[in-house]
Amino acid sequence: MSQQQFNQGDLIINGVSTAGGGEYGRVKIDGVGTVEGDIVCIDFDCDGMTKIRGALAAKTMDADGMFRVEGDLSAERSVIDGYMKVKGSLKGDSFSINGQLRVGGNCEIESFRAEGAFEVSGLLNVGTMDVLLHGRGKAGEIGGETIRVKRKSSGPLNKLLSWVMSRFATELHVESIEGDEIELEYTHAEVVRGNRVRIGRGCSIGLVEYRTELQAHPGAKIGKEAKIGG
Amino acid sequence: MEPNLISKKDLLEEKGISYGQLYRWKRKQLIPEEWFIRKSTFTGQETFFPRDLILARIDKIMNMKDDLSLDELADKLSPVLPDYEMRKSDLEKRNIVSSIALQRFAAEDAGALVYTFDKLLYFYVVDKLLQAGEMSMEEGERLLETLREHFPKFAGKACDLVFTRKMGVSSFALLSAPSELYFESGVKVVARISMTECIEQLKGKWV
Repeated sequence: MSQQQFNQGDLIINGVSTAGGGEYGRVKIDGVGTVEGDIVCIDFDCDGMTKIRGALAAKTMDADGMFRVEGDLSAERSVIDGYMKVKGSLKGDSFSINGQLRVGGNCEIESFRAEGAFEVSGLLNVGTMDVLLHGRGKAGEIGGETIRVKRKSSGPLNKLLSWVMSRFATELHVESIEGDEIELEYTHAEVVRGNRVRIGRGCSIGLVEYRTELQAHPGAKIGKEAKIGG
Repeated sequence: MEPNLISKKDLLEEKGISYGQLYRWKRKQLIPEEWFIRKSTFTGQETFFPRDLILARIDKIMNMKDDLSLDELADKLSPVLPDYEMRKSDLEKRNIVSSIALQRFAAEDAGALVYTFDKLLYFYVVDKLLQAGEMSMEEGERLLETLREHFPKFAGKACDLVFTRKMGVSSFALLSAPSELYFESGVKVVARISMTECIEQLKGKWV
């Protein structure tokens, strides 16, 4: 995003309202707010139900509650609590979410931290990824430097629910994971490729390729493993 | 396996880089999205790259990454035209475009006239072909027109310039890259130039 300082005004919504897109300094939405069109701002802060009918570019973003973006989203630093859905792609330096994230396109994030559930349709490209699953995780592909996926130990209700309906199972489903340092739990993947790979409990991996080290939990299922390179 | 493609695994091995580095460079837009070619093989989906392009690009990144930050590198390598400008006289002085070409194609412009990057790029490409002895002055004029008319339509996307000749009749085409192109027999491809590479080379002259 551009570094220029906007001398435009702020956008403040309290209650139920709709506003137009454009360039703003600060955007603050409380209640039920809709923005029609693309929006570029420095600070974006919303609580409640927020919908952007367009793309959003911000320097910092703090969203609580239900938050939907119909276009692409890019924000240098984001902190999200609640449910967030982005129809386009998601870009950022640091991104932290407690709750549920859904992205229709690709994700490019330097530092990605999530606690909860997530679904990325395309490629999730991360510098470091730290995920604690409370619900289901899903991605087309994951690639990056450090990739760490853990699961919150599930309570009895969750266990029952995942037994009845497998789509609620607290697991990560992904086609392939490629990275330098990989640490996984409860992950189903066709291929995992990395330098140092740790396959934890509850994993089911078709093929693991590693360069320096592979550690596997005795309970993990690995179809085939191969050490490559020097 | 197609000889002009390289698989991701072979690439990493040949260049001694890690998955993390490759993804990092992709995030930084040092490696364009369209070079990632997905193909299904007997082991499942795999990613391939255009061999020459990716090998050259990775050498470039490895050579420059000690001196420049990744963001600076990204600026240098991106196909988006920068807002660099240069006076006509400087262009001649620094030998970016030969004086012969400038006399021919920009005789009416004053020496102090400032060219934007796209104008410079057109002169640069025409001059490059002229210097290689592959193109006549008249053809250069037509190329310049072609570029002026069609190059802006690519709007930052990668494209190639193809220069062909058949029975002495020459023609130019711009096509989005990477793409494959086949001709009837008798057509001689005089030159195929990556405009993105020309942009990089020209940007390199500012340092």
